Amino acid sequence: MTDLTLAERLATHPRSVIVNVWAPWCAPCRRMAPIVERLAGEYDGHIDVWKVNADEQPDEVRRLRVLGIPTMVAFRGGQEVTRKVGARSEADLCLLFETALSGQAPAHRGIALSDRVLRLAAGTALVLLGLTSGPSLLLLTVGGVVLFTAIADRCPVWQAVRVRLEAWVKRRGSASLEV
Amino acid sequence: MKYVNEAGWDRIVRVVLGIVLLYLGWTDVVTGDWGTFLKIIGFLPLLTGLVGFCPLYAVLKIRTHKTAA
Repeated sequence: MTDLTLAERLATHPRSVIVNVWAPWCAPCRRMAPIVERLAGEYDGHIDVWKVNADEQPDEVRRLRVLGIPTMVAFRGGQEVTRKVGARSEADLCLLFETALSGQAPAHRGIALSDRVLRLAAGTALVLLGLTSGPSLLLLTVGGVVLFTAIADRCPVWQAVRVRLEAWVKRRGSASLEV
Repeated sequence: MKYVNEAGWDRIVRVVLGIVLLYLGWTDVVTGDWGTFLKIIGFLPLLTGLVGFCPLYAVLKIRTHKTAA
């Protein structure tokens, strides 16, 4: 880092920038690192990825209003476009890079509100039906799954589990190819 | 999303219909073979309504959801 602050460097930088706030002890940061490096290579010349070590640069972390790591903040023309907090899947990170490139935040995150309401209503109805008819384990399970799909995109625990699951599936896939 | 071929009203009708059929089947309002039939068949409109995709529509090239490509 130079003597200039991150904000000053961002203001004069000609390309889009993704600021990756990480720490050496952060396990999700280590898991996401290969994906971020690969995407940085793919977008080389269009988007620069700047790493900020939260332990070494606490002032920058404070200026970025980062409350948890990993956090990735996308800038275009010195202005923040969007940010992703916590462990993220490859698809989420791709979306972040695309957003940094276009400078436009995605139209909506996760499922649409109408979809969410429909799933919540159907899930609740199924659970109630399951409770009144027996109770029926099948209806309760289906209702539970439907309710979960209504909130899964907002659930930080599921997001973290999903990243691990995707990594595990990828490892299994590459291991079976080697055999 | 590209796979969605049902309009909002279509999805709501399917979900409501599915819940009603499941209610009739699982609460023994309808018993016997018809009851068993409703217990199973109710999941079809419910599932297609929640997902927004009807395979039969796809086969017959019908779309009630007009805006998606």
